[in-house]
Amino acid sequence: MPEVVIPIGPQHPALKEPVNFRIIADGEKIVRLELELSYTHRGIEKAAEQRNFIRVLPLLERVCGICSHSHATVFAKGIEEIMQLEVPPRAQYIRTIIAELERMHSHLLWLGVAAHEIGFNTLFMWTWRDREAVQDTLEEMSGNRVHYNMNEIGGVRCDLNPAQVNAALSRVPVLEERIKKYVDMVNDEETLLLRFRGVGRMSKEEALKYGAVGPTARASGVDYDVRRDDPYLAYAEVPWDVVTDTEGDVYGRTRVRIGELRESVQIVRYCLENIPAGPIRVDAPKNAPKGEILSRYEAPRGELAHYIRTNGTDKVERVDIRTPTLANWTSVAMCLVNQNIADIPVIVAAIDPCLSCTSRLTVTNRENRPGVAVVRAARRGSSLPGSEDEEKL
Amino acid sequence: MAAEKASAAYGCEGLPGDTMTGPVTIDIIKERMKEFGLTEQVHANRVLVKTVPGKVHDAIGTLQTMLGCNRLITISTLDNGETFELLYHVIGPHRIIITLEIDLPRSQPTTPTVSDILPPAGIYERQIHDLFGIIFEGNPNLKKIILNEDWPEHEYPLRKDWKPGPDTFYGGIKVERSEGN
Amino acid sequence: MTVPSAGLSRRLVNWARAKSPWITIYNSGACNACDIEIIACLMPRFDIERFGILVEGSPRHADIMIVTGNVTLKQASRLRRVWEQMPEPKYVIAVGACGASGGVFKGLYHVMGGVDGVIPVDAYVAGCPPRPDEIISAVVTCLNLLKEDAAHGGKEWRQKKPLPRMDAKGSPVIP
Repeated sequence: MPEVVIPIGPQHPALKEPVNFRIIADGEKIVRLELELSYTHRGIEKAAEQRNFIRVLPLLERVCGICSHSHATVFAKGIEEIMQLEVPPRAQYIRTIIAELERMHSHLLWLGVAAHEIGFNTLFMWTWRDREAVQDTLEEMSGNRVHYNMNEIGGVRCDLNPAQVNAALSRVPVLEERIKKYVDMVNDEETLLLRFRGVGRMSKEEALKYGAVGPTARASGVDYDVRRDDPYLAYAEVPWDVVTDTEGDVYGRTRVRIGELRESVQIVRYCLENIPAGPIRVDAPKNAPKGEILSRYEAPRGELAHYIRTNGTDKVERVDIRTPTLANWTSVAMCLVNQNIADIPVIVAAIDPCLSCTSRLTVTNRENRPGVAVVRAARRGSSLPGSEDEEKL
Repeated sequence: MAAEKASAAYGCEGLPGDTMTGPVTIDIIKERMKEFGLTEQVHANRVLVKTVPGKVHDAIGTLQTMLGCNRLITISTLDNGETFELLYHVIGPHRIIITLEIDLPRSQPTTPTVSDILPPAGIYERQIHDLFGIIFEGNPNLKKIILNEDWPEHEYPLRKDWKPGPDTFYGGIKVERSEGN
Repeated sequence: MTVPSAGLSRRLVNWARAKSPWITIYNSGACNACDIEIIACLMPRFDIERFGILVEGSPRHADIMIVTGNVTLKQASRLRRVWEQMPEPKYVIAVGACGASGGVFKGLYHVMGGVDGVIPVDAYVAGCPPRPDEIISAVVTCLNLLKEDAAHGGKEWRQKKPLPRMDAKGSPVIP
C-alpha cells in the first residue's frame, strides 16, 4: 500500500519556531520523518569573521534567545584560553550564577511547553508564572530579561551589589518550594504519566550510536555532563550532582530536567552565599595570538561546542558552532519510527529543540525503502506547501 | 573535586569487545595512532593527529575499537587559502579528545565518508557540503538543505573568496548588502 | 466603507473588532527571544486574554499578525503568502530590531532585512527583545488605528508606500 506524506508546514501553532516536517506515515504509525529546518539560517558564522571581539559577542548571543548566555560564554571562555588570561574568581562565580539561572528559565519554559503539547494548560500557566521570578532576578542583575550581555573577554560587564544578592536570595526559597511541587507532580499526576510513559523510548546503545547529548542522553543512562568532565567556570568548587535516569522515554527526560532544576537552585544559592570578593575583569589585549581551541559548554539542551581558530588579528579566522539540537535530531528521527502521529509534538518537544541555535539542519534517511512511491496527501492544518518536488525512493 | 568524581563515575575502561586493556593515556594513543600520522598534545586533555584523507576511515575504526572512543563531537571545517582543513573530534569515556586533521586540496575537495561507521557524521557532512562544497563520497544523501532551495549551484558561502555581489539575485530577491556591518 | 453616520450593524461590527481582536504569530527566522516575550504576554503575569485577545493558529481567523524576526530568504515568500490569506481589515506589527531593519543581522547573506520589504507594516516595536508591556502597547496602538481607519473609510488615507511587487515564482522583489 502506498505511503502517505503529511507535510506540517512552517507556520503552525504547535511550536514557536518555523520548521517543516514531512512525515511519511502508514495509517497511524510513522514510518519515517524528514525534516527541513533551514528557515532560520542567517549566516552568522560568516559574519563573525568580520567583526572584532567586542562586536562579535552580541552577534553570537543572538544565535538563540533561550540559550544566549551559553553561546557568549563558550566563545569568551575559548578566546580567554587562547590569550591565556586568568579570569578573576568573582567573575567566574557571577558567570555561573547567570548560567544556572538561564538553565532554570529554560527548563521551566520547556516544562510549560511540553505540558501545553499534551493539553495540560494549567501546568503551562504555573511554570511560566514561576519563570517570571527567575526573569526578575536576571533583570535586576543584568538589565534585560533575555540577552543579558554579561560577558566580556576577560570577565564580566557589571558587578553584583548586596541589594541584588539579597533580592535573589529571597526568591530562592519560593522557587525551591515550587520545584518540589513539580517533582511530586511528575511522580503522581495521572495525565502526565499516561501521555509521557512509554513514548519515544531510546535505549542506551541507541543514544550512544546516534550521538544524543544533554538531558536526552542522560535520560537513557548515558552519564555525560561537560560541567563535570571538563570543569569550567566555578563548577569545580560548587557541590552538585549529575542527574541521570534509566527510563529513556519522554517521562525519563522530564524527570532529568526537573532534577536539574533542583540542582540549579542549589548551585545558585551556594554561589550567592559564597561569592568571593575581588575584581570582576582583567584587561584583555586587542589582538589574540595565533591558536585554536575546541571550547565546550553544557547548555540547557546539551553539549555546545565552538571550534575557534585565531590568526593574530582582532577578529577570529573561523568559529564553527555545533549546537546540541543538531546532535539530537538524529535520535528524535529514530525515536519517532513506529510511534503514533498524535505523539509527534510530544516527542519532538521532549528533546527541547532550539531551531534558531541549529540554524542549519538535515536528517539523512537511514532506512531507505527502494521501490516505494510516495503520494502527496492533503495538507493538514498548514497554510503553506512544503517543497514542490515529488520523491521516488 | 569534580575531577575525581568524574573518573570514579566513568572509570577508564573501554567498551565491550575492545582489544584494549587497562586505562587509556596519551602515550597509548600516540602508540596506536603511529601508523596514521603524527600525534601531538595541544591541551591538557586534547591530542591532535595529522593524517591523510585516505586513512580517516581506518583511523576512526581504530579509535572506536581499540581506544574506546564512542562519540563524535563535531566535524569542523576551515578554509585557509590553499587547502580546506577538516577536523574530526572524537571522545570517549576516558575524556580525552582526539582530533584527526586532514588537508584537502582546493581544486579537488573530496574525501570518503565516515557516516557508515559513525552515524552522527551524516548530518555534519551534509551541512559542510552545503556551505563549503566538499564532496563526501559514499554519503547517500548529499542534497541541499541548509540554504534556500533557490540558492544557485556552486556558490559556497563560507569559502573565503565568496562575496555576495551587488547584482546577484537569489530566488528573485535582490538585496543590497554591506560588508562588515 | 464606513463613515460616522453609518448604520447600526456596521458600527456594531467595528466595535466588536476593536474590543476583541484575534492575533496570529509568525516567526520569520528570528532568534526566538521575541517569540518568548510574546508568549509571556499570555501568561498570568501580563495576561492579555483578559482584554479579549485570543491567539489563533490560522491566519484566516486573525485580525492582527505579529511578525518577529529578520526575514530570511527562505521565509520571504512564505510570509507574503500567509499575509495574503488574512481577511481585511488586517494589521501587521513588526516586533523588535530585527523586524524593523534586520537588527544585528542586517547585511548577512541569507537575510532580507526588515519586515516592511515584504509586507506593509502598521506598527513597530523597538527593543531586542521588547518587553511584554511594550508588545501589548503596540497591539493597543493597532486598535486605535483600526478605529481611525473605520472613521476614514479604509486604510488608504495613510498608505505612503506601494505594496512590494512579486515575481513569477511568488517571491517579493525589492526594486
